[in-house]
Amino acid sequence: MIFWKRSLPVLLTFILGVTFALQYYVPHPASEALLSEVSVWNQIIAGFAAILGVTSLLQVHYVKIRRREPGWGYSTILYLSMLITLVVGLWSGGESENSAFGWLYSYVLVALSSTMFSILAFFIASAAYRTFRARSTEATVLLIAAALVMIGRVPLGEYLISGSGQVSDWIMTVPNTAAQRGILIGISLGGIATSIKIIFGIERAYLGGGRE
Amino acid sequence: MAVTLCRLLATDYWFVMNDFASRMLRLDRRLIFLLITVVTFLPLLYPFGLPIRVSPEVQKIYDYVESLPEGSVVLLSLDFDPSSKPELYPMSVALLRHAFRKHLKVMGMTLWITGTGMAESVFSQVAQESGKEKGTDYAFLGYAPGGANVIISMGQDLYAAFPTDYYGVKTADLPMLKEVRTLRDVRYTISLSAGFPGLDTWYVYGKEKYGFELGGGCTAVSAPRFYPLIDTGQINGLLGGLRGAAEYETLLDMKGKAIAGMDAQSATHFLIIFLIMVCNLFYFLGGQRREQRG
Repeated sequence: MIFWKRSLPVLLTFILGVTFALQYYVPHPASEALLSEVSVWNQIIAGFAAILGVTSLLQVHYVKIRRREPGWGYSTILYLSMLITLVVGLWSGGESENSAFGWLYSYVLVALSSTMFSILAFFIASAAYRTFRARSTEATVLLIAAALVMIGRVPLGEYLISGSGQVSDWIMTVPNTAAQRGILIGISLGGIATSIKIIFGIERAYLGGGRE
Repeated sequence: MAVTLCRLLATDYWFVMNDFASRMLRLDRRLIFLLITVVTFLPLLYPFGLPIRVSPEVQKIYDYVESLPEGSVVLLSLDFDPSSKPELYPMSVALLRHAFRKHLKVMGMTLWITGTGMAESVFSQVAQESGKEKGTDYAFLGYAPGGANVIISMGQDLYAAFPTDYYGVKTADLPMLKEVRTLRDVRYTISLSAGFPGLDTWYVYGKEKYGFELGGGCTAVSAPRFYPLIDTGQINGLLGGLRGAAEYETLLDMKGKAIAGMDAQSATHFLIIFLIMVCNLFYFLGGQRREQRG
């Protein structure tokens, strides 16, 4: 069992990891054909992964409903919404133009999603009032920088305070870029290190299941 | 006697101030919500119409589209869902109008399944008002699962990645895609992205390997992390949030939804700055001590 559950996946990861790391540097037609073929396989696997994701989601919420866990009512809404969308989608033959499915998309999904995002403005304002305080030097620097960018990024700020737009641009293109670049390099190095660990079987958490 | 009275009054004054400051720091958040509602609605009803300065990163995208010869193939990937519609939808409209005005061939798609219907409606609406024909002047490929894999697959063989377009027509039969076999045949790609997969995915898996020029658009909160990519040339420009869309509309000399929303954004920014200043004032007036004790 260990061979199927552990050794084979680790072996496959090693072979495919090394092959496709090298493939990037080999522009030979055979190498390109291999990439073309595998990229289509990956798309098919991603399609099945979506089915797996939906199944897992339904399973988690089914358990919540069965055990009457806190918030189980929301799980019922999830089931109902999914069922209604599925039935309406199949009934409309997947057509979104002038169909019930299109109506559901435009007037339920789009409206609800936009509402969720727009209430963020209210929470940001409330959170800024409650927590954005000059408690330390670092917090003060952050506060001043945030205020300058907020002023410089809107026409009213540029109209009232001449040059605020340029100050905002400078903050974004110099200190922000420097910090973001540092973060990006750190993430990239971490990504490379993790990939190497996965390819060589040092990192096996992705296999799940706990100890061998 | 007078000194004692003054001391008592001063002590009393500070006690009252401290009490007032700490009360103000615990202000009912519903009042803040009400203020935000008012400053959002008023400018929408009575716009000030202030001029919008165009930033260099937006100008670069506009100039690049302007420089493309007529008939060049442009790929517009609308990688967002309805939750980011207020910021990214106006960008899509402005970019499409520009491309159609320049008589470019536009290929559309999305890496986000929940954004498919919305992306399709942008394409069909703008194409209709610009008098462009589906399949000849533009093609909407829809959604394919896989994120990065879709990009690699398109880079290798577009017809394999999308055997049919969104409307079920074989991609190989579309007149617009006759000359487009892979991403190498695309002159310019713009990803309007609200997260992953999106702009990052396009430059890592697409631009680096297949060598097309890449531009991007994103929500305002994610804009700061894309600035390093402009300097390195990984993207040639960036439309950041509603402001980016409004700048593009200004360049096109069109009155779109982004410009309409900028006054409301101006007012809310100023309200938030005012609230931050007020809360810090109360914090230093005494609320700080109360908070530390509490």
